[in-house]
Amino acid sequence: MVTNLIYFYFLFFATICCALGIIFAPMMYLSAISLFLFVCFSSLIYLYLNSVYLSVFQFILCGLFLSVYLFLLIKKIGRINLRLGLAPASKIIVSSIFVLLFGALFVLYFLQEFDSSLYSFFNAVVEKSFDAVNFKHYLYPLSLVGIFVLVSAAVLRVFLDNSLTHEQQKENEENCS
Amino acid sequence: MINALVNIGLAHFLILSLILFLTGLLGVLISRNMLRTVMSLFIMSVSAVINFAAFGYYCDKSMENANMISVFVLIFAVIQTIIALVILYKIYQANEFLDAEKIKDKEN
Repeated sequence: MVTNLIYFYFLFFATICCALGIIFAPMMYLSAISLFLFVCFSSLIYLYLNSVYLSVFQFILCGLFLSVYLFLLIKKIGRINLRLGLAPASKIIVSSIFVLLFGALFVLYFLQEFDSSLYSFFNAVVEKSFDAVNFKHYLYPLSLVGIFVLVSAAVLRVFLDNSLTHEQQKENEENCS
Repeated sequence: MINALVNIGLAHFLILSLILFLTGLLGVLISRNMLRTVMSLFIMSVSAVINFAAFGYYCDKSMENANMISVFVLIFAVIQTIIALVILYKIYQANEFLDAEKIKDKEN
């Protein structure tokens, strides 16, 4: 019981600290490391919630793929030791007030609605969905999503390449003239 | 008060999710570097996934629906991040910097 409690609060604060680390880290590589740790700790939270598949999925997809891709990208553009700046103080203050107000509104809404409608809404959704759901049935649409993403990424890349070469040609023409 | 802290329930995960979402929102609003903005958007997506996973654990005993929704949200979060990173790389190739305010000034 006590171990469980300590484990939960450790994950709770570690995740929040990593999220804050991503935003307030002074160097780019620290921000990337915070992202990796954030992915690891959030995977542990899913494990705590018995979502083993989700936890492994996130760790592989985000921890081993996304974080490494991000790290390589930063290294490729030579920005690994870049000092990160924040917006001006006035903007930070205004944004913090906005975020706090948003949070307060959310909590008020939650307190008002939670006991009755949010629970019943979720239960209604669960009851209406078919009873015997097999996770394997969803693998087909998942593969479709994957293919769709690859195709859209390829199209986007071609589109961006074309627009870039077009701009470079324009610049060259301007320089020549 | 101590009882509420000791008995871990759905509300604890929803509070964690809310804090993460607000942190991500703050990051989007205050960071100048666009790479960090993309990371903040990823934090917001993960907070949504934690929300779904918690509801699945405490409300849906079979866990299938919540897991399914969570996996979809996670896939879209990763896709969004990767596509954003590719776009940022192209922007960097064109401008040699990733500071949002500098790019805005250059456009003006």
